[in-house]
Amino acid sequence: MIQLTEVQKYFYRGESREVHALKNINLTIEEGEFSLLNGPSGCGKTTLLNAIGALDSVDSGKIYLDEKEITTLSEDERTLLRLNEMGFVFQSYNLVPVLSVEENIGFIMKLRGFDDNEIKNRVKEVAELLEIQDKLQSLPNTLSGGQQQRVAVARAVASKPKIILADEPTANLDSKNSIALMNMMRRLNEEEGVTILFASHDEYVIESVRRIIRLNDGSIVED
Amino acid sequence: MFRLILKLAWKNAFLRLSRTLLVVIMIAVSMSMMLSIQGIYDGMTSNLIDKTKRSDCGEISLYNPHYRLNKNLDNVIKDAKTIEASLNKRPDVQAVVRRLSVDGLSATARKSAFSSVVGINLDEEIAFGRFDKFLVEGKLELGKRGVLIGKELAKTLKVHVGSKVIFSTQDSSGEINAMALKIRGIMQTSNVVLDRSALYVERRHLERFLGVSDTVATQIAIRTAYPTLQATLQKAYPQLSVMDFLELNPMLKQMQDMMSIFNSITFFIVILVVFIGILGVMYVSVLDRIREFGIMRAVGMEYKYIRREVLLEALFVGVVGYVVGAVLGLLSLVYLHHYGLNLSQFSEGLAAFGLDTVLYADISPIYFINTFLAILSASLFSVLLPLRKIKHLNPIEVIKAET
Ligand SMILES: Nc1ncnc2c1ncn2[C@@H]1O[C@H](COP(=O)(O)OP(=O)(O)OP(=O)(O)O)[C@@H](O)[C@H]1O
Ligand SMILES: [Mg+2]
Repeated sequence: MIQLTEVQKYFYRGESREVHALKNINLTIEEGEFSLLNGPSGCGKTTLLNAIGALDSVDSGKIYLDEKEITTLSEDERTLLRLNEMGFVFQSYNLVPVLSVEENIGFIMKLRGFDDNEIKNRVKEVAELLEIQDKLQSLPNTLSGGQQQRVAVARAVASKPKIILADEPTANLDSKNSIALMNMMRRLNEEEGVTILFASHDEYVIESVRRIIRLNDGSIVED
Repeated sequence: MFRLILKLAWKNAFLRLSRTLLVVIMIAVSMSMMLSIQGIYDGMTSNLIDKTKRSDCGEISLYNPHYRLNKNLDNVIKDAKTIEASLNKRPDVQAVVRRLSVDGLSATARKSAFSSVVGINLDEEIAFGRFDKFLVEGKLELGKRGVLIGKELAKTLKVHVGSKVIFSTQDSSGEINAMALKIRGIMQTSNVVLDRSALYVERRHLERFLGVSDTVATQIAIRTAYPTLQATLQKAYPQLSVMDFLELNPMLKQMQDMMSIFNSITFFIVILVVFIGILGVMYVSVLDRIREFGIMRAVGMEYKYIRREVLLEALFVGVVGYVVGAVLGLLSLVYLHHYGLNLSQFSEGLAAFGLDTVLYADISPIYFINTFLAILSASLFSVLLPLRKIKHLNPIEVIKAET
């Protein structure tokens, strides 16, 4: 479903110092995977995830989402691609503070133009899966960190994207909440068949995924 | 979608309540002050204009073309009586007066002053411009020897109600003649020239004294609500010069222009205050939420929606400020319209310009419409800079800068 061939990415700092952040990456992610990009800090996990999520461009190589090449898209096309095909969960502060949990979960669906009834039903459905159904009317800042992360996952999954990209989703959570979040995401993967790709070096994430892609210094060293 | 953006904008506009309220108060206070100043300025000008029209030239005055250069009895309007009668029949004319005026010298035993005697008909003048309202002392009556005198002239001559004045001038045959007059009342029109020099007498007596026929006049003044009347009358009476109020009072025209410049300046300053206020609050608010916007961009919200949200947010602040300011401004204008602004401490200076000591404000819907449009555009322009911040935002950088 997602295919990367010979992807290279450089960062430039100042005049001459460049960082070769992704070195000749070849990788395939199949539909329904529950996988992890793992490796030491600075190895390029976030960079790779951002490239797959069309958040960032690459310098050479190709990335395909299904049959579609996403490396050649314009800025605006990438924005729409992210909206329509991808779901994102970030480390923290994912939510819109002035909107209720329900509105946050329905946010992407709303942007995509789903009708209100459909949104309402779907929000209820994913909220139940993630066990936040009784928080729907609350504002994000009244929720615990673990609950907020679950709302972020619910938002990402609600519009049924092709893939969910989660960068260090457990980094700000304690062990109990991390385990709970991973269990629920796994359940989503199993029950709804959502493809999920993590970037993390958290042991709880490592324990629950089915595939680990290990990176070191910008290259895949183990799969 | 629009509902969602509207909701985001509304909630965000009042998220930092005290910050927003501060800007709202800033807008409201400066705006209501501006409205009051504007109302007072306009009230001042229109009061002066109104009194000049009522006491002298109306909206339109007719003269013999030579009269304004050479004010002697050769240059009168010969058939004034018939003209007046036919003007009175026109539906677009509200009131007409015909006056006979002559310059000369008025004197008491000790003092003398250059002055003008104006022959009037009291009933006509009252209908024309509420002449009775200008009386400040004595009685409004003329009779055979009676005279009403301008307040400043009375001061110069040191005369009171009941005093006698001798007025001498050239009659129609070229002889110098004098008339003895008894002061019945003192008039204050706030029309500087008249207050300083006018003596009002019964027109019939002046005609007889000067030896002119009762059909002539030096001026015919007209009250009308029709701005096109001047052109019509000029066509009907090509032998006369038909002049409108502003042509006859270039000083007042200048004053009107100056007031509108003052008004524009205050207006501009207030709009600048509004602009800076909204710019400040929006800039800080956008910087506060830069991560939020980054996440929105990352999950695929298009820039145009974010722009719409920020714009609406600024509009909310501006419009709420406007509404509060309009209410405060209206209250203050209504007060100033009814009770006026009492400046009796400075009354000497004001009177010298023909102004009253209590200034009453005008109220016009135009003030509110103009301010609304200006605040609207100030709000819109004020988000340009904050929006640039969001437009050049790189979501990756913003998301990375967490923890
Ligand atoms: N915007 C940038 N400018 C310059 N260098 C960058 C930039 N972003 C990342 N890098 C560099 O690219 C390399 C990969 O960074 P990346 O953020 O992908 O690592 P990571 O594996 O996600 O690390 P961590 O586990 O700490 O999140 C690092 O050497 C980093 O310093
Ligand atoms: Mg990272």
